[in-house]
Amino acid sequence: MRMPAAAGRIADHLERLGEFGRFVWRAIVVSFFSCFKPATYPLIWSQMYIIGVRSVPVIMITGAFVGMTLAVQAYDQLAGMGLEERLGALINISGVKELGPVLAAVMLAGRVGGALTAELGTMKVTEQIEAVKSMGVDPMYYLVAPRLLACLLLAPVLIIYADLLCSLGGYFVSVHVLGISGRPYWDYSASVVELWDVSVGVIKGFFFGAAMAVISCYKGFNCEDGAHGVGKACTEAFVASLISILALDFMLVVIFKSIYNTLWPLRSMF
Amino acid sequence: MVKASDSNNKISKDDGIIVLRNVTRNFGQNIVLDKINLAIESGKTTVVIGPSGCGKTVLVKHIIGLLRPTSGQVFFKGKRIDNLNEDQLGKIRVHFGYLFQSGALFDSLTVAGNILFPIEHFFKIPSQKEAEEVVKIKLQMVGMDGFQERYPSQLSGGQRKRVALARAIALSPEVIIYDEPTTGLDPIRSDVINELILKLKRELKITSVAVTHDMTSAYKIADRIVMLHQGKIIADGSADYIRDINNPVVQQFINGQISEEELEILRMRDSYDATKLWTNIPR
Ligand SMILES: Nc1ncnc2c1ncn2[C@@H]1O[C@H](COP(=O)(O)OP(=O)(O)OP(=O)(O)O)[C@@H](O)[C@H]1O
Ligand SMILES: [Mg+2]
Repeated sequence: MRMPAAAGRIADHLERLGEFGRFVWRAIVVSFFSCFKPATYPLIWSQMYIIGVRSVPVIMITGAFVGMTLAVQAYDQLAGMGLEERLGALINISGVKELGPVLAAVMLAGRVGGALTAELGTMKVTEQIEAVKSMGVDPMYYLVAPRLLACLLLAPVLIIYADLLCSLGGYFVSVHVLGISGRPYWDYSASVVELWDVSVGVIKGFFFGAAMAVISCYKGFNCEDGAHGVGKACTEAFVASLISILALDFMLVVIFKSIYNTLWPLRSMF
Repeated sequence: MVKASDSNNKISKDDGIIVLRNVTRNFGQNIVLDKINLAIESGKTTVVIGPSGCGKTVLVKHIIGLLRPTSGQVFFKGKRIDNLNEDQLGKIRVHFGYLFQSGALFDSLTVAGNILFPIEHFFKIPSQKEAEEVVKIKLQMVGMDGFQERYPSQLSGGQRKRVALARAIALSPEVIIYDEPTTGLDPIRSDVINELILKLKRELKITSVAVTHDMTSAYKIADRIVMLHQGKIIADGSADYIRDINNPVVQQFINGQISEEELEILRMRDSYDATKLWTNIPR
């Protein structure tokens, strides 16, 4: 009696996974082709404004606090060893490689992902997505592609903002509160943080942005009826985005590390 | 009647512009459509009537592939459409206008934006002026000119319905499906919509499928009336045929009479005095 029920549930999950896979695949294909259709540019543009420009303050505040907190936390450890001059290196390397990208992406998932799911979910519930279809327009093209492209293109940019503010926040606390001189802060930062580190953080942004957008759109499109359904979809979208950001981060770190180790011997050539 | 030709995916075009063959649709255990066979003739207005919740909306959504049958086939112009993918369906749906029961206006766009949405997607509108002109004409048809810049949330239910109708006819499609076009409108407005549907048929030879509860409207616009009841088509014929049909279920429906059993239930409730419950409420 119990086995078939469990098997049924597993089949259900697999089916939903397959559906999600198809959705992701179609979203990627349609978005790719949208890049070559000038008619979509205004749609992408307006999404970029909503998603990107409006997120700048939140992202900057996040970055600044990360930098400031890192400075306070790391100071004691380094001061114990007499290495407090190197505070800048520690703040910047952790900010640029890990905390900046991940926390910026998490903020985006909260601010943008939630709004995307709620908007598309409401459209689903009030038959507006069916209305788009009924006119022979592909909702993937009209609704998903612009949002996906906007998130994909803007997440890396926002991460750069977060990195920058993390650096400045760290500088502010180190120099004006903890009394380290400004010169070694920047010198040590520059000697430790390589272009590679910054690029890794920014490249992660593409993946985080895309994952968050696709998950949020999928949850919106498959939202259950009613206000309750929309709320549930938003929660699920946020949790799923968060987990996939962290999981992607882990995988990307592993991959980038092996790339780095492969390329390291060639480094002297550049 | 409906005949299968050699291939399962094609039937003769003479059968009708839209053909449903043995269409069954369930939601879980709930069988909403039960082996429906329906062939809709080109250039005519077919009205679907039936009690609330009997599956009229589900039926018409099958015609443009918004829902797919659990079993059975749907054909448009002789070509099977219920097994097409979304891309291919998109090309078919361009031939249709669909008025949603709820209107389904895009609430992030203005009234003008809603009407321009399908037009902009398929045509290059040469100038702003031209666009305004098109919107004006479409809105005048439904008596909504002057509301161009409003958002759907700023309109009444009936006004939304009329804007949605203007949007459905924006592309001058070959087939228009109206899901309750006159619900929520006053009698005079309803008659304007009836006249509009008749005019579209007369002048543009448009095929219409209309779902309605409004029998005045049904008699006026219908070339043919189909009554749906418990998942089956129980009556099918001209307006005069339906009016005089010898079938108690249909007669009760079109005359708006309540059945004896339902009356009995109401009488039972009557004898139950709810005010008794109030005595315990401190006042
Ligand atoms: N998405 C759905 N999921 C589950 N059941 C559904 C769904 N859509 C419709 N139904 C069921 O199908 C039946 C028919 O619904 P439908 O909307 O077609 O009724 P209707 O004839 O249009 O009624 P009305 O005149 O009130 O609009 C109802 O019993 C409804 O519960
Ligand atoms: Mg209905």
